[in-house]
Amino acid sequence: MNAIQTSLRFILALFVFFAFSSLTAQAQQGQPSIEQLLQEPFLDDYYSNVVYGYEIVTDTQHFASRYVGNSLNCTNCHLQAGTQADALPLNVAGMYPKWRAKNGKRNGIGLRIRECFLYSMDGIMPPDDAPEVLAIAAYVTYLSQGEVMGAEPEGRGVPTLPETGYDPNPANGRAVYLEHCANCHGEQGEGLGGMPAVWGLDSYNRGAGMNRIQLAAGFIWANMPYGNGRSLSHQQALDVAAYLNLQYRPADPRESRFLKLLEDLLP
Amino acid sequence: MIPALLAEATPSFAWKKKLGNWRTEVFAGFVGAILVIPQGITYAYLAGLQPEYGLYCAIFVTLFTSLLGGSSMMSGPNTAVAILIGTAVLPLAGRGSPVYIDFVFILCMMVGLIQLLFWILRGSRIFQYLSPAAISGISAGAGFLIIMASLDSILNLSTFTTTFFYEKLYIIISDARDLISPYSLFIGLCTIFGGFLGKRYSHRYYIIIAVCSGYIAGLLVSFIWPQPVTELEYLGRMPLQWLPVHLPAINIEYLMTSIRLIPYAFTIAFIGLAQSLVIVRELKMETDQEIDLDKEVYAQGMANFLAPFFSSFVGSGSFNRSKANRSLGASTPLSGIVTAGFVLLLITFLGPILTFMPMAAMAGTLFIVGVDMIKWSDIKHYSLVRSELVIYLATFVGIIFFGLATGIVIAVLLSVSVFLLRISQLELKVEKQESGTLLKVKGALFYASVAHLTEKFQSHFGEDLTVDLQFTTHIDQSAVDFFIRESRNMASQGATLSLLVNDKQRQFLEDLGLSPNIKLVSLAEGVSLQPA
Repeated sequence: MNAIQTSLRFILALFVFFAFSSLTAQAQQGQPSIEQLLQEPFLDDYYSNVVYGYEIVTDTQHFASRYVGNSLNCTNCHLQAGTQADALPLNVAGMYPKWRAKNGKRNGIGLRIRECFLYSMDGIMPPDDAPEVLAIAAYVTYLSQGEVMGAEPEGRGVPTLPETGYDPNPANGRAVYLEHCANCHGEQGEGLGGMPAVWGLDSYNRGAGMNRIQLAAGFIWANMPYGNGRSLSHQQALDVAAYLNLQYRPADPRESRFLKLLEDLLP
Repeated sequence: MIPALLAEATPSFAWKKKLGNWRTEVFAGFVGAILVIPQGITYAYLAGLQPEYGLYCAIFVTLFTSLLGGSSMMSGPNTAVAILIGTAVLPLAGRGSPVYIDFVFILCMMVGLIQLLFWILRGSRIFQYLSPAAISGISAGAGFLIIMASLDSILNLSTFTTTFFYEKLYIIISDARDLISPYSLFIGLCTIFGGFLGKRYSHRYYIIIAVCSGYIAGLLVSFIWPQPVTELEYLGRMPLQWLPVHLPAINIEYLMTSIRLIPYAFTIAFIGLAQSLVIVRELKMETDQEIDLDKEVYAQGMANFLAPFFSSFVGSGSFNRSKANRSLGASTPLSGIVTAGFVLLLITFLGPILTFMPMAAMAGTLFIVGVDMIKWSDIKHYSLVRSELVIYLATFVGIIFFGLATGIVIAVLLSVSVFLLRISQLELKVEKQESGTLLKVKGALFYASVAHLTEKFQSHFGEDLTVDLQFTTHIDQSAVDFFIRESRNMASQGATLSLLVNDKQRQFLEDLGLSPNIKLVSLAEGVSLQPA
């Protein structure tokens, strides 16, 4: 009986070894790409979380709908699922924990992700051990492989635009918006055909980073119109950002609580 | 055999003819839906899953059990089952992660298969050996575990695991200022207070009152302090689908890891069926429903087997919802079917409101449920018989120190051994008569109980003995061997052994080859049997 059990265990161990050998072989050469991971029938806990995180980033509405309050997906700002430089890339795991002026705390990557849900996704803050948060953290770690710990990766965030010498002009911004942006984002900013809403109740709220004109202008200049980035002038990008900033959007959850309640309860 | 099983397996709808007032059934189903929503959400939390899985369980397990079974039992999410799922799968994967959910579904399929096996082997009789004291002890122990689990959310502790409950209490008390979130504690206390106040006015709806007071407290808190300050945990939007079909992922790696789940699968299958059958048996005894226990085992097993295909975890009969269902006058499975529909409707329309339900309020209702499960009246009830009290207390202590699975094993072992001790006890009565000594034997005469006879035989050694077997329920080979041996010993002393037997026993004894030393005396048909 005992001999049978030992031999059975041995055979099982052999099975496990061969099953994992394909994955480990790839891991030795560098990590498998997301496409490879999606093909795998079985993933260990880390890689399954990486894939889950990737799915959340690309289809937040479906995979993390619990904490989302608008119609955006992470990948609407973190372009190409967070892999495109100058478009808020997600390979920043080596920079956390760090102090941020926004909340006056030392932020781990978890808190950073949770605040994204609260402001940019206009939703509610997930608990710190929510599976969604842990999965996105795993994905961020996965993307950060090869980066220097503590150093800024190349193309982090969005480029800072130089002084143009003029104030941002929303009226001019409206003209630029209607010419270059309204085709996809709609005249009312509602987002056409799967493109993200840029204002209105289905967009990011007043507490989001995109609500800062400097940051939004940098993002627009580097990446917009989509697929044709850096075609607008600095001043045009600033004007569009100012125009967007004037539009109606959900309130900042830190301030207007009564308004927030109405927005949340009356769909 | 197989046609009979197939007939049992098809839903019969025999209750349609007995359907009296369908309005009563529908209203009972509506109340059941209101009761099951907070339970489904909190039990999903206990099982380490996202809330929607608990609601799917409330919808599909309830629906399938009611469709396939024939009783008015309310099935669905169950505390003990949910806790056991958590204890089984949490060591294998991170709470709520994709791998975790895959493992839960594999576990659920195993549970369903084991319960179907119970059905095919006609195993529903096994559960009669689980004593009521053991079931109460398990329920009380589960209540204690629920209270401890609810503290995590009420105090908004980030989940930490401790081996024993007193360590957790010690850590909470010693680090109270750093660990406990006052906002969350306030909401939790409001919920518990609302629940205990509501219990005075309505025994049926106090959970709803508790949930509402917790929700209002949560709104109050979020109105004064924003979420970045309070860091309160909210339920969030539930991505509920109407038909959440899901094919469980099965591959060789999962199956090899899930070998570790098999003991838990057996425990869950056993405890789930035990609870369902206790409810069904009660319904069968106290109402005029036509209930077939085996059919109910099939309904529960099949519902649990199908559950993972509809993104839900396993369930079992619920005591409190079945009781509410009965007190509202429901007597057919229609109320269960209606409940499933109402859960779907209510969640669809309550969705935006439930989004801002604080988890502390949900945990507060868990706390109330847990306190309700530890009943002082149970202890008083079982304290009258010492063996029952020992089973109750041993089960309870086993659960709070070593977990639910160990506690259930203790409960089963103790109730079986008490049962065996009882059955191996013989009632012996000695009467002096002119012809010798008459020994009346009451009970089952088998290898475990023969030892009792030996003492009597030795104390009357050398006398003529008559053994009255008319109140003996069972005789086995070792007892016959014993008689042959003793009669030989007595013959050497010049004494005779005679056995008073009925026809059936005479046949049996003669088949086994009695020695000529034993005199068999038949009881005449006309002789009135006097009690021993």
